[in-house]
Amino acid sequence: MVVECLTGTKVLMKGNYAIANAAVLAGCQCYFGYPITPQSEIGEFMSGKMQQLGRAYVSAESELAAINMVIGAVSTGVKAMSSSSSCAISLMQEALSYATSDQLPVVLVSVMRGGPGLGNIYPSQGDYNQATIGGGNGDYNIIVLAPSNVQECIDLTYKAFYLAFKYRNPTILLADGLLGQMMEPVEFYDYPYPEIDTSSWALTGAKGRDARVIRSYAPLETDQCVYVDNLFKKYKLIEENEVEYEEYMTDDAELVVAAFGSMYRNVKSAVKICREKGLKVGAFRPITLYPFPSKRLSELADRVEKFLVTEINMGQMVRDVRLAVNGKARVLFKGKAVGAMIDVEDLVEEIEKQMGGV
Amino acid sequence: MEKDFIIAGFGGQGVLLAGEVLANAFMLDCKNVTWYPSYGAEMRGGTVNCGVVMSDEEVSSVQKSKSDFIIVLNQASFDKYTSWVRKGGSIIVNSSLAKIAKTRDDINYIFVPITKMAQEKLGNIKMSNIFALGVLSKVSRLVSLKTLEKALYNVIPPHRKHLIPKNIEALKLGYEYDLLPV
Repeated sequence: MVVECLTGTKVLMKGNYAIANAAVLAGCQCYFGYPITPQSEIGEFMSGKMQQLGRAYVSAESELAAINMVIGAVSTGVKAMSSSSSCAISLMQEALSYATSDQLPVVLVSVMRGGPGLGNIYPSQGDYNQATIGGGNGDYNIIVLAPSNVQECIDLTYKAFYLAFKYRNPTILLADGLLGQMMEPVEFYDYPYPEIDTSSWALTGAKGRDARVIRSYAPLETDQCVYVDNLFKKYKLIEENEVEYEEYMTDDAELVVAAFGSMYRNVKSAVKICREKGLKVGAFRPITLYPFPSKRLSELADRVEKFLVTEINMGQMVRDVRLAVNGKARVLFKGKAVGAMIDVEDLVEEIEKQMGGV
Repeated sequence: MEKDFIIAGFGGQGVLLAGEVLANAFMLDCKNVTWYPSYGAEMRGGTVNCGVVMSDEEVSSVQKSKSDFIIVLNQASFDKYTSWVRKGGSIIVNSSLAKIAKTRDDINYIFVPITKMAQEKLGNIKMSNIFALGVLSKVSRLVSLKTLEKALYNVIPPHRKHLIPKNIEALKLGYEYDLLPV
């Protein structure tokens, strides 16, 4: 399959190729990766395109090597990325913790498959916790963006690079096997964000200036407190400025169905059907999983009676919804570990049941 | 309006490509569309399928348990997908590789000896998939031959462009096939 970076033309494209094309258009200079289904097309595309453009592509010897190569590259101030899936993202957790502390704009694409352990290659949303909480040590946050269609794979890849550099913080694009493999018509456009000046911190050689160090620690107890406090001042800014979500018919809703990523598509369809039946139901989708739209959910909880959270996992985002709602409304969960999204018909049935069976 | 399509058959029958042509055609008609391949631990010689969902609004799921139009190019797919056809929907069956049998009375069966036609009229069984799209165009009335033709130009890579006229012929023959009930 031949995929070219076309700006301004509608093309039918797989999610994985869309992400890869968007990364190239965003100015990604280096790609480091190790293949794993269901995201291998990203590396495949990069292996040809990056060389063609005179940029760097390294097929790393392991996921651990790949993510550490990204750390090395971005510390010089260039845009760099890796992409991987579930069990292989697990191997990158140490590096992600380091990158938050080093304050490095690492961009990582995570295309979720079934877990835990090796799991299988069917789509899943089981890595919500892995992305938003993570398995690295210490207090840290990673910006997490969750697309729900192929066009958004492009939009949010652009945004991932922008936010990573704006805040000097690792950013994860959290897609799933379904989004990675499906084809939809998409439109490319030029990278819409300003380029962030990295001259104050990037390691570019100390010629004509003092040497710089990028490190992840302060040796003294008090210094480390100041260091982490500063990180959290940054997180506060992110939480104040970067929350993004989508709402549908929530104005008078008695029940709001919440979902992220591809699962939201079915939720929205189910809500449309229920509205036609006269049920006061709405839909809510966090686009940024960190920062999580807790404030908006809390506002909604003042008048919404019930939230129904649906995920292709055993209940991960539901905990963030419960924390946000904080007892003001009932929070229910419907999910399954792995595989096809929950059918629209099943969702309609569940909504009807929860609203007293109309 | 949202309509679901499934194309299924043996690996090598061009199932995924036919789906891609169909999805491109809907895109060219300015519809929203999603294409999704069968997915999992597949093996050579096994069955393969893809789903295409066309919608005037946003496309919801691509993995539904019911579909409006299903093309089955072999017996295994016919056996599997008959129950997936939505009530009132249609199944286009390649009767060259599947036995003619009607197990449901709430769906439309369209039996066409697709492989045989491709061999006899086009001289190449590889044309089966695009021939089937021609049949689908007539049965569904949701996509025109003209748009499918244009879609072929989108999908077929430059070094295979010389095959397009033959594929267009396949579309036409499929469309013109006399769909009298068996």
